[in-house]
Amino acid sequence: MDARAVISVADYVNLTNHALRTIPHDGMVIEGEVADFKVSQGKWVNFDLKDEKADVKMSCFMTVFALRVPLQSGMRVQVTGYSKVFERFGKFTFNVSDVALVGEGALQKAYLALKEKLRTEGLFDVARKRSIPRFPERIGLITSTEAAAYGDFLRILQNRWTGVKVFHTPVHVQGQHAVREILAAFVQLNAMPVEERPEVIVLTRGGGSLEDLHAFNSEEVARAVFYSAIPVIVGVGHERDESLCDFVADVRASTPSNAAECVVPDRREISATVRISGDRIHDQLRYEIDRRAHTVDRAVSTLDRSIARITQSMTDVTRRFGYAFERFRLSLVATLEHVDRRAQSIDVALRRVIEERSRSVLELERILKSIDPREVLRRGYALVRVANRIIRQPSDVAPGEHLAIQLAEGSIAAVVERNVRQESLL
Amino acid sequence: MPPKKPTFGEAFQELEAITEWFETQDVDLDEGVKKFERGLELAKMLKEKLAEVENTVVTLKKKFSALDNAQGEDALL
Repeated sequence: MDARAVISVADYVNLTNHALRTIPHDGMVIEGEVADFKVSQGKWVNFDLKDEKADVKMSCFMTVFALRVPLQSGMRVQVTGYSKVFERFGKFTFNVSDVALVGEGALQKAYLALKEKLRTEGLFDVARKRSIPRFPERIGLITSTEAAAYGDFLRILQNRWTGVKVFHTPVHVQGQHAVREILAAFVQLNAMPVEERPEVIVLTRGGGSLEDLHAFNSEEVARAVFYSAIPVIVGVGHERDESLCDFVADVRASTPSNAAECVVPDRREISATVRISGDRIHDQLRYEIDRRAHTVDRAVSTLDRSIARITQSMTDVTRRFGYAFERFRLSLVATLEHVDRRAQSIDVALRRVIEERSRSVLELERILKSIDPREVLRRGYALVRVANRIIRQPSDVAPGEHLAIQLAEGSIAAVVERNVRQESLL
Repeated sequence: MPPKKPTFGEAFQELEAITEWFETQDVDLDEGVKKFERGLELAKMLKEKLAEVENTVVTLKKKFSALDNAQGEDALL
């Protein structure tokens, strides 16, 4: 017959657990990487601890009360505790009594590796960065309601700009739910109808350690930022903090307050710009009007001057004409006087000539009278003619010829009797 | 139908364009007066919008709140 003992499952599990407890746990820590980190019902913590190289893992369990560090998947930790097989589930589990993070170095290394991967894929390319609207009217806000970031963002937003509708999706920004909630928020905002959805999404939180920023360094959130149809502003912590989301974001803000500054303009600046624009177009128009008015003024004054010049020259001409006419009149008067004087002297001269001539005529008349043959005849002389020929000597006639003897008072007809030789008259 | 009221961004952009027009164009007076009036109208509209006092915050319901409950199903394992 079979000599082996038959025991129940429960007994065997007990036996196993008994044996497991013989493994010494003092002075020994187990180091590995946390994977599949979960918190259930706010009490129970489950994660796998695995080696980087070997394909081996160990289920770990602890309570949130025992967990005193912010634990995330991907972290390198050192754990202490003991192993047991849970009767109800028949599963080998390591009960963690304490967990400690293994330096920033390892986390940093993992972070840098992921960063390089995303960079290589082009998630950080400057060329794909989208500009955000200058005056967004709807803003999506992904952050925790409890965080100071929420208040800071809204306060600065209110301070700078108004009339904005903020769609807030409350999420945890750290802890186990952070990544899934942030991813869901991106999905939710992007799923809204285009005309209603935010024009820009702000993903923000305050500063923190590398562990605190886990969600903002997660590959999934980085990709969610990258694939969001709505442009994204990421503002994490303080100036010195960086997260992978910062690099993927369309606009990187340094803090939540700075995110508000990046997303909306300052109303004072815009008011000033509006005022200056108004002034400027007013001034410009004023200038144009003045310029034209000046041109018209100039034309008018040019015209005025021309008219004045013409008027002046007309006045000059008139005056000169007046002078000239006066001179002409005076010379005319002088001429007339001269002519008059001349006429008078001519008259005088003429009269003198006439007188002189009259005297000459009388003289001549007297002379003529003195030589008039009739006067001679009256003194007793006679004219003897033969056939109208004056007889000067007796030889001029022959006896028998008829003579005509003219006396002062009439004439006598006679006949020649004989020729007598000239004798002295006296 | 009256033209759609421009958004702040549209109005601001138009005002900027008018300002630029005044600074770069050889200003035609008739056109200038029209643009000036439009500029004043826009500036007034923008000032009114700037005078609005409040931002509105709408908190969206967590569509993903179910996650918390879902978490419970493998509480221990």
